[in-house]
Amino acid sequence: MAEQVTKIAVFTIADFKEEEVWLRERAREGLHLVRMVVPCFYIFEKGEPEDVIYRLDFPDNGEDRDDYARMLTDFGWENCGRCAGWVYWRKPAAEAENEGESELFTDDAGRLDMVKNIVRTRMLPLLLIFFACVLPNLFRALDGDIYYGAGGFASGFFLGFFSLMTAVYLYLFIHCGGKLRRMQRELERKE
Amino acid sequence: MDNRIERVYVPMTETGFYILYCLQTPQHGYGIARQVSWLTNGEVSIGAGTMYGTLSKMEKDGLIVFDREEEKRRLYRITALGEEVLDREMRRIERLYRNSRGENWNG
Repeated sequence: MAEQVTKIAVFTIADFKEEEVWLRERAREGLHLVRMVVPCFYIFEKGEPEDVIYRLDFPDNGEDRDDYARMLTDFGWENCGRCAGWVYWRKPAAEAENEGESELFTDDAGRLDMVKNIVRTRMLPLLLIFFACVLPNLFRALDGDIYYGAGGFASGFFLGFFSLMTAVYLYLFIHCGGKLRRMQRELERKE
Repeated sequence: MDNRIERVYVPMTETGFYILYCLQTPQHGYGIARQVSWLTNGEVSIGAGTMYGTLSKMEKDGLIVFDREEEKRRLYRITALGEEVLDREMRRIERLYRNSRGENWNG
């Protein structure tokens, strides 16, 4: 059995294009994706360096999976895993002579649907968790002395934890929200 | 043809037109892609995701219908509504073509 290598890389829900490039670069080094493990572990198999195009799709949940996988394999794509709603596909670059063969989407409507789907199923739940859970707990922790006793360990711990969570969420909203919105606008303008 | 169908499909994208045109004979997605590539000498190539999404939408909107399944491939064919949309589109393209050659269009 070929040797396996695990790499850690962080890509947010808005960085799928960068992730595709990163995976292609790994393939050129001879690292071929076997599977992904949530949240940021990539398991590769060591092999010959090869130029391989990777594409990430974020299909609708309701879609008939057999039919979907069949269509993509017909078009020459090899499935290399799913992870948290994403489906990973790859194809040797030598087999892709035109846009239809090297891209999953050749129309803006298709690209737009994918971005909208990411926003609907990923961004909106994040917003909900933030406002319903993280933020109220941060305010509670700010008043921590009342709940957990003045200067206690619990008080400091919760304040630290929820401050960090708030920072992470705010970063995600600004980075992903902004990036996805720019993508959406650009596609809507072209369509 | 209701307003929504008209708004979404008239005029059509090039991808949409070719897919609907090809479905005058029942086919699956990859078959359509090959036919389009052959018809246009490779100038129009349709990606797998675009094909899958367009077929799903057209089926939902009643322009095409599921015909049968062969080895997990879904074959579709055009409906009466689809033909109506396609006819309109062909007329529009013909007008564009005539006008672009400096001819007047008499309908």
